[in-house]
Amino acid sequence: MTTPTWDEPGGPMPSDEFRDATQAIMANIEQVIEGKSATVRLALAVLLAEGHLLIEDVPGVGKTKLAKALARSIDCSVRRIQFTPDLLPSDVTGVSVYNQETRDFEFKPGAVFANLVVGDEINRASPKTQSALLESMEERQVTVDGTTYELQAPFMVIATQNPIEMEGTYPLPEAQRDRFTARIAMGYPDPRAELAMLSGHGAHDPLSDLRSVADAATVRRLIATVRNVHAADAVQQYAIALVTATREAPEIRLGASPRCTLQLLRTAKAVAALEGRDYVLPDDLQALAVPVLAHRIIPTADAQLNRRTTDAIVAEIVHRLPLPHDRNRSPYDTRNTGGAQYESRGL
Amino acid sequence: MSGRRRLGLVAAGATLLAAAPIASIFDGYTWLMQCLFTVGLIAGAAVGARTLRFPAWAQALSMIVVLLLTLTWIFPSGDEFFIPQPSTFSHFADLFSQAGQDTRSYGVPVPDREGLLFVTVLGIGSVAIAVDLLTVVARKPALAGLPMLAIYSVPVAVYVDSVPVLPFIIGATGFLWLLVSDNIDRVRRFGRRFTGDGRDVDVWEPSPLAAAGRRLGVIGVIAAVLVPLAVPTISGGLLSRLTQNGAGVGVGPGNGSGGRINLFASLSGQLTQTATVELVRLKTTEQTPYYLRFGVADQLNNNGFGSRSPNGENVAQGLPDPRQSTAGGAFADYKAEVEVSESLAQGMLPLYQNTTGIDGLQNGWFFDDNQQVVYSSRRSTKGLKYNFDYVRARYSQSQLRQAEPLSPDDPIMRLNTTHPEDETVSNLVKGLVAGKKTEYDKVRALYDHFSSKNNFSYRLSTQPVTNSSEIASFLQTKAGYCQQYAAALAWMAREAGIPARVAFGFTRGERDGDTFVITNRNAHAWTEIYFKGFGWIPFDATPAASVAGAARSDYAPDIDLPTQAPAASESAAVPGADPSAAAPGADRPDRPDFSDQSASGSTGSESSGLSGTALLIIALAALLLALLLVPALRRVLVRKHRHAATAREEPKVTRLGGPDDIVVTAETVKARADAHAAWDELMDTMIDFRIPIDPTETPRVTAQRLITDAVLLDEPASAATLLGSAEERARYARKPLQGGELTAALGQVRRGLSRSANRRTRIAAVLMPPSVLMRWRLGLGEASTRLVTFGGRLRDLLAKASPRRLLPHRGR
Repeated sequence: MTTPTWDEPGGPMPSDEFRDATQAIMANIEQVIEGKSATVRLALAVLLAEGHLLIEDVPGVGKTKLAKALARSIDCSVRRIQFTPDLLPSDVTGVSVYNQETRDFEFKPGAVFANLVVGDEINRASPKTQSALLESMEERQVTVDGTTYELQAPFMVIATQNPIEMEGTYPLPEAQRDRFTARIAMGYPDPRAELAMLSGHGAHDPLSDLRSVADAATVRRLIATVRNVHAADAVQQYAIALVTATREAPEIRLGASPRCTLQLLRTAKAVAALEGRDYVLPDDLQALAVPVLAHRIIPTADAQLNRRTTDAIVAEIVHRLPLPHDRNRSPYDTRNTGGAQYESRGL
Repeated sequence: MSGRRRLGLVAAGATLLAAAPIASIFDGYTWLMQCLFTVGLIAGAAVGARTLRFPAWAQALSMIVVLLLTLTWIFPSGDEFFIPQPSTFSHFADLFSQAGQDTRSYGVPVPDREGLLFVTVLGIGSVAIAVDLLTVVARKPALAGLPMLAIYSVPVAVYVDSVPVLPFIIGATGFLWLLVSDNIDRVRRFGRRFTGDGRDVDVWEPSPLAAAGRRLGVIGVIAAVLVPLAVPTISGGLLSRLTQNGAGVGVGPGNGSGGRINLFASLSGQLTQTATVELVRLKTTEQTPYYLRFGVADQLNNNGFGSRSPNGENVAQGLPDPRQSTAGGAFADYKAEVEVSESLAQGMLPLYQNTTGIDGLQNGWFFDDNQQVVYSSRRSTKGLKYNFDYVRARYSQSQLRQAEPLSPDDPIMRLNTTHPEDETVSNLVKGLVAGKKTEYDKVRALYDHFSSKNNFSYRLSTQPVTNSSEIASFLQTKAGYCQQYAAALAWMAREAGIPARVAFGFTRGERDGDTFVITNRNAHAWTEIYFKGFGWIPFDATPAASVAGAARSDYAPDIDLPTQAPAASESAAVPGADPSAAAPGADRPDRPDFSDQSASGSTGSESSGLSGTALLIIALAALLLALLLVPALRRVLVRKHRHAATAREEPKVTRLGGPDDIVVTAETVKARADAHAAWDELMDTMIDFRIPIDPTETPRVTAQRLITDAVLLDEPASAATLLGSAEERARYARKPLQGGELTAALGQVRRGLSRSANRRTRIAAVLMPPSVLMRWRLGLGEASTRLVTFGGRLRDLLAKASPRRLLPHRGR
């Protein structure tokens, strides 16, 4: 079996086919995770945007379940790593062991060699071990003992973690956080969904019934379709403006990286495709700003003292930043005239 | 405390400025010197008292003492030495009663009478004390405006007609100066005042408070100018003066000595006047009376004819009987009874010539023997009823021929023959009087010149007679109306060395039973020429056919009549010789008439709604209305333009190839332009209906918010969604939305918005669209910002050239 490279994901799909395929995956996952369609859709969007997903929430809200359901829905190799404090980097990447028969060192691939890698409780491992994922997540390769091994496509890391205030957790290093495309929170289910969960899960685990509805090849084609989504100049400018605003905001010590800009636009394309559009809207960027930007930035000490969460800071930036216009029409847009900002509500 | 002392000096200065209106009352400027001296000493006393930290009562007392001392020095009785004695006060009392007499016997402008000067200095001094106390001690400078206004009330009370505006402006400037100084002093008392000098603070830094103040100020000034215009009774003063000059008639505001009433302006050709206002009802025992007469213009200079201020004795002392001073002519006694309507308010009494006695007048009317007019500087004819006896003199041509030339030294000759030098006029006169032996024949030659045979015609819509050169040009154009005829004949007579002047009054009017009803259409001017031994004889050169109620006499017959009646009898009556003359012009709508200055008491409803002032008001109102409608019009135009938005140019850029293949065809370009135009229109509509616009919102969100904010339902809601998605796709998609009914959608949204908006918003959206106003405001702001930026750059540039930068840096 030839391993497809990342640059040749396959041909794009017609829109009906794309819609059917993505809806099948989402419906499949929603059999397990009830009442969280927005979260499920975002998780899928991250997969189609060739990114990695970080699910952060308190214990017991279904983080692992979402990760596993997504993995199960796609017929591809899935590996799971339970991050524990004593986990070693070689457990993740793999290790060369001495084969007595061949009298040579032989590489035993680690858990990271799969299409989908589910890293559970990632912040319970030491930063040393967490760092083992850095190369694989960005460069989609693993180098052990000087030998570089390519990873399969698609490759996605779905990690879950508890908020860092929880006991026994290590904060993820900035470099690691920056490699995750989006951080999503599960949130508690609403009472109705919880009731359905009680009645459903009482008999058996729905996860065990889950069948795969797409294979790796299909996913590659989906990814190709997403890449083909159109992002107008104005939208790209808006993405840049959003990211730049995080770098310039007085409350933020570390802003978002250029990698973040790229991933923001990619995810927006995936979201647009999932909504059946072949073009990105600023609305997509606005909706994605918090999941994609918030976990990367570091607020200043002042902002932390004021108990300003990064989510709130990013949301405010989105609310404050005017849309760029792709044409010369700005009778209302008085940003450049200085001073007389149009006070819309005071009219 | 230096601030208080300075404020005291400002108060004195402001008082002097506020005294400016007094200038229009006095002939000379002695009063000013005396007031300067007095107010200066009072201010000095105040400063001294404050330097010595006197209490407030002592400050007031010291100022009063100084005023008393100053009065003693300026108006000494002769007994005192430096300090007022009891005799000084009795002298003051004398001066007071003398001033009382003077006010009754002198018309304005008055000469330097000591009593009047005393009262003036006393008054201004008292005002200076009051202003000082109110400003510095009571710290209520606004109240100081009241005593200052009291000064202005003096000319207002004295002048029946309009009051000069300039002194009031000077006084108001003084008041403002006082207010500003007080405010600066107040701010200074908090600490150092920030002027921005050297502190990187720009004095002209726009501050919202200052801007609001300026706006309020502008609105206040506009309202203060416009509101009195709307009140019909206040029609005197600057504006009506302007409108009169604009209407084109008048010899300018009188002569240099501050003439009282511009009679030519009163007789202005208000060409648009349509209404007829009754001015005088008159009963007389005479069957066919001549013209009623009330004023005279007897000064001729380069500015044309002007009136001398009348000067004379109280009417109660009796009027002269012309029979005693006149040599020839037949006389007859008549009685007349006059009832002046409310619409005619002037300080001059309409009378027949040669009035011998008047009954029913209050005190305060004076008779000028020279001008033969009865006038009052305080009273007005408004609503007046009086009787008078008069003598009608009848002359024949042969009698008048006996009149000899006056000697050049005769005062009448000196006063009434001055005239400007004009070659055309003098040549014309020389040609006309050549060969004529008697004075009367000369006058007749001049009088006959104004006939239709010489192509003279009556026309109201002529150039205004504002100066002598235009009277001269009337002799060339030969078209004009009564005042031009009267002025021209008077000038020509003067040119010929015969005393002449212009008389003002009314023609006979219309007979109503035994009364004559005289309206504004009967206003008239004619010439009076002096014949030795006969006195002033009226000549009316205006074509009789064109003047309602015109009268002709034997010695001055209607020269335009084709069948001129021969001078039947030597003693033909002055009036009524030509009954035909009265009829034709009776209902001419374009007769000149009175308004404004002479009839300043007339109410708007009675006088026509179309007088010049009214016309100006209407024009201003129309202009205002038009200006108010400009935003609405602009909005409609913008909407039309957008609805018609199409792609005007063929697409030039075609991006092909690559995944971002954007389709660029004429249709898509047009669809994009349409969507943008529709979106702009939607934005403007939202602004019009006061739904806020948020530049951070995407089209989709804006459309959704519009639906929820304005509670749009069904069709308008789907129309808003359609507009949103059209704009969204036009901006961001490869292919814009095509075939959407955007114009219809806009209409639906607008209807939906207007349904959910309240009435005020709805009306404002149509008449005063906020979108247009806002765009203008922003444009204005941008322009001013550019200007300020440019100014700053210029200043920097200039600063580079300044040699001061070479100096060592000043420590800061």
